[in-house]
Amino acid sequence: MTDIVLDTPSKPAKPSPLTRLIGRVPPIRKWKWGFVLSVAYLVVLTFFAVFANVLPFIRRYNELPKGAAARKLASYRGKPSGSYWFGNDKLGRDTFARSVYAAQKTLTIGLASIVAALVIGGLLGMLAGYYRGWYDRVLSVIFDVLLAFPAIVLALIVVGRFFQSGRLNLGLFQMDKRFFGVIVVLTLLSVAPLARIVRAQTLALSQREYVLAARGLGASSWRILIREILPNLLPAMFSVAFTGLAVLLVAEGGLAFLGFSVQLPFPTWGFMINEARPDIVKGGGWAVFFPCILLFLTVLAFNVIGDRVARRFDIREATL
Amino acid sequence: MTSAMHRPQDGTLLELRDVRTHFSTARGIVRAVDGVSFTLERGKALGIVGESGSGKTILARSIMGLLPKRGTIRQGEVLYAGDDLAKLDLKGMRKFWGQEMSMIFQDPMTSLNPLMKIGNQIGEPLRVHLGMDKENARATALKLLQDVKIPEPEKRLDQYPHELSGGMRQRAMIAIALACGPTLLFADEPTTALDVTVQAQILDLIQEQRRDRNMSVILVTHDLGVVAGHTDEIAVMYAGTLAEKATTAELFANMKHPYTEALLRSIPKLDQPSHTRLMAIGGRPPDLITPPTGCRFAPRCPYATEKCRTEIPVLESISAEHSFACWNPVGSSHWQSKQDELASNAGLASAGGQA
Amino acid sequence: MAGTGKAHLHGEGQALLSVEDLLVEFPVGRTGLKVNAVTGISFDVLPGETLGLVGESGCGKSTTGKAIMQLPRPNGGSIRFEGQELTSLAGEGMRMLRTNIQMIFQDPISSLNPRRKVTNIVMEPLNIWGIGTPEERLKKVNEVLEAVGIDPDRAASSKPYQFSGGQCQRISIARALVLDPKMIICDEPVSALDVSVQAQVLNLLEDLKAKFGLTLVFIAHDLAVVKNISDRVAVMYLGKMCEVARSDDLYARPAHPYTQVLLNSIPVPDPTVKITGNQRVQGEIPSPVMPPSGCRFRTRCPIAQDRCAAEEPELQALGNDQYVACHFPLRSAN
Repeated sequence: MTDIVLDTPSKPAKPSPLTRLIGRVPPIRKWKWGFVLSVAYLVVLTFFAVFANVLPFIRRYNELPKGAAARKLASYRGKPSGSYWFGNDKLGRDTFARSVYAAQKTLTIGLASIVAALVIGGLLGMLAGYYRGWYDRVLSVIFDVLLAFPAIVLALIVVGRFFQSGRLNLGLFQMDKRFFGVIVVLTLLSVAPLARIVRAQTLALSQREYVLAARGLGASSWRILIREILPNLLPAMFSVAFTGLAVLLVAEGGLAFLGFSVQLPFPTWGFMINEARPDIVKGGGWAVFFPCILLFLTVLAFNVIGDRVARRFDIREATL
Repeated sequence: MTSAMHRPQDGTLLELRDVRTHFSTARGIVRAVDGVSFTLERGKALGIVGESGSGKTILARSIMGLLPKRGTIRQGEVLYAGDDLAKLDLKGMRKFWGQEMSMIFQDPMTSLNPLMKIGNQIGEPLRVHLGMDKENARATALKLLQDVKIPEPEKRLDQYPHELSGGMRQRAMIAIALACGPTLLFADEPTTALDVTVQAQILDLIQEQRRDRNMSVILVTHDLGVVAGHTDEIAVMYAGTLAEKATTAELFANMKHPYTEALLRSIPKLDQPSHTRLMAIGGRPPDLITPPTGCRFAPRCPYATEKCRTEIPVLESISAEHSFACWNPVGSSHWQSKQDELASNAGLASAGGQA
Repeated sequence: MAGTGKAHLHGEGQALLSVEDLLVEFPVGRTGLKVNAVTGISFDVLPGETLGLVGESGCGKSTTGKAIMQLPRPNGGSIRFEGQELTSLAGEGMRMLRTNIQMIFQDPISSLNPRRKVTNIVMEPLNIWGIGTPEERLKKVNEVLEAVGIDPDRAASSKPYQFSGGQCQRISIARALVLDPKMIICDEPVSALDVSVQAQVLNLLEDLKAKFGLTLVFIAHDLAVVKNISDRVAVMYLGKMCEVARSDDLYARPAHPYTQVLLNSIPVPDPTVKITGNQRVQGEIPSPVMPPSGCRFRTRCPIAQDRCAAEEPELQALGNDQYVACHFPLRSAN
């Protein structure tokens, strides 16, 4: 075998586990500032949300001003000040504190729904794309129906009928029924589009020759799905998940606006916006402004990160 | 087109003077084309031959001005009938595309618009560039489809690309490229995606159209077999530079560059007995960010000497129709002694294998 | 051109693989029509032999290769490997097949999972079958990688896109070799490669065949490539067999008009050889949904006559191991 030349270009050094997870950190002049700021923003937001109950400078979400402070606020109209950073609402509650607690709720709802949708939609889409046949046809009809079903009616049925009020006891978890209902609605809304994307991708991936090669080696269907197809689906799923999360946050706002989201005492941003909406004309616009800004920035941050993740995982298969 | 009437029928059409196309990337500057000069006469066919990564496609695109704007560094002159195309911007180039020069791509499926009927795709450049009305364009499109010998051309006018076979799609591509009567036709690996039988037909068709229309053709391919019967001249490219350039007959009769020789020897030939061992070129083309010093082919060349590894050979003409860049060309004394050595080694090896 | 003839088959027990009356059909959407991809071809492969399957796209050569692997199972006919019928295998028997016959594919990039390390890709067959301890597996994988000319260290830390097309094809070959198969089906393994790399891979296949005692079925559309690597060549057209002969005989004395035009289509790297258009095959392969009656090649055949439309020719012996399915062969029996 004289004509075989082992060509070994420079061997890359073995990357540390951290580098493998987040990729090589580029020099500062090459930073994508949009991405860095988005991550920083989300880290701060999550920090506040998680430790809202512990951090000393955050008031209780329903704390009302008393005495002299209350009197002073009566003519104040909720403008931001040194002691109320985001101003206060018509009852005098601290908008900053409420926003932080709302972040807790809003993010939990968004994350829980998107994770549930990823698992359910991903699984269904993968099976439909891989096995095709009658299974695919039945699922496709179900997805079509789900997509065509008016979201508001769905919310009305799920929240209004099944999860109107009360506590839900799920053994380990106990939670507000309404809260759970919102998650169910948002999950149902996002399963169909996610499953469709995953199905289309799986369909394309199953035609790839490495899947055929694995089958030729006698690999079982599950092995092929888990080892050959799933790793190639994940990047697309993650990127859709980040964008989808942003959409869900807005959708939650929409539900709150219609009165179908969580109930007091814990607000979400959408709920806060809806609650303070009538006061805009009376000069109480600040209580609407800040939750709006937070919602906007969060949606933007998730979109930017989703975009970046998609690019990070893009293997240039076509360039060779 | 009035200008077509006054076109000279012969003389130099295209002259490249030290063309360099470099790309600035994250890893460094890629010297994709690094100092290429040649001329092409009107009505002649030039084959540009090389492996993937030899810069042959980038060279063709440099001539056509089809390069990404960002990160591209261009030097040298591309003289097309006296105009320096390298100096033109997108707007200036647009006058040349379609009417003066056009291109056929490797994959006819991805370069045809899947949502547009074949007739409209051929007719569009006619209407845009030549200002034909709809009926005229359709009639001309039909004539073009007949020229490229598509079976049942009337029917094809109203079909979509997916309704045609691979060979017919490539014929339709050629019809589109010919629509505005270009003077220079680029064909970038036009037959790689096709069956051998269809490949032969398409190559014949391009040659026939070239003669009928007195076009110049630049045929880019990795296969010396493809260019042998269908070009007048051949330029062999390696790692962004010209290794050898000659008329087709001269190149095959008297090839000088070891790379050209290696390319030819790696092709399986029908007249060799079965199981004839092919002379493969070991390794692969160099990284064009840090190309080897000296001759770029030296690391893979069986005849390379110390001089080859340190000094860059210049393109040297041995006759008006033949030039090459090599210190130890095929037929030189060093080549001969090395050849004998290799032959005796091979003899020993096969004798050892039998024992 | 009929595949119905079996004159060319060797006796029972001689062949490693024998295929008889193979039938593969695909439905066309929900139209009720079907693609007659392979309609009743027969051939066999002797141990240690390389059989070339050649023809234009749509002739059913790749389908035949995949049918041998039971991917998918053929619609009819029999495929016997070492005397054992494969078409009715299940369970443990299928397992035997999967380890004994391997396949390599045309697109070297697409046939490797882009998100796995090369070492893992090559080790996957051993993992699937649970062969050996992890250390033994790694040792075997590294041996095979070295045999195909890939640096094991680099394979351990790299993914397929970091290799060139030719190297990816070597990796595919390594994956096929790791289970020590008896037979490898090569489905257009060099069609996507540059000529220089193509030569490397062809040489490698020859070397590995000698080293591991392999039997090869080599599928390609380029007759020059097939001729170089094969001992015998079977020419296919539109799901049928045209001609079977030793590769040197096929080139020297083609008997089927289709073989002749295939030979004339190959670009000759010599400008002094002039082949004119009318010596080449005209037109393109007809649709396999409604193939022509009689001899399927007759619509493009330069010497077709009335009989060709009416009657399907059978494979007949010309002597010296050459067989042709044509009413008017270019050369008669010895």
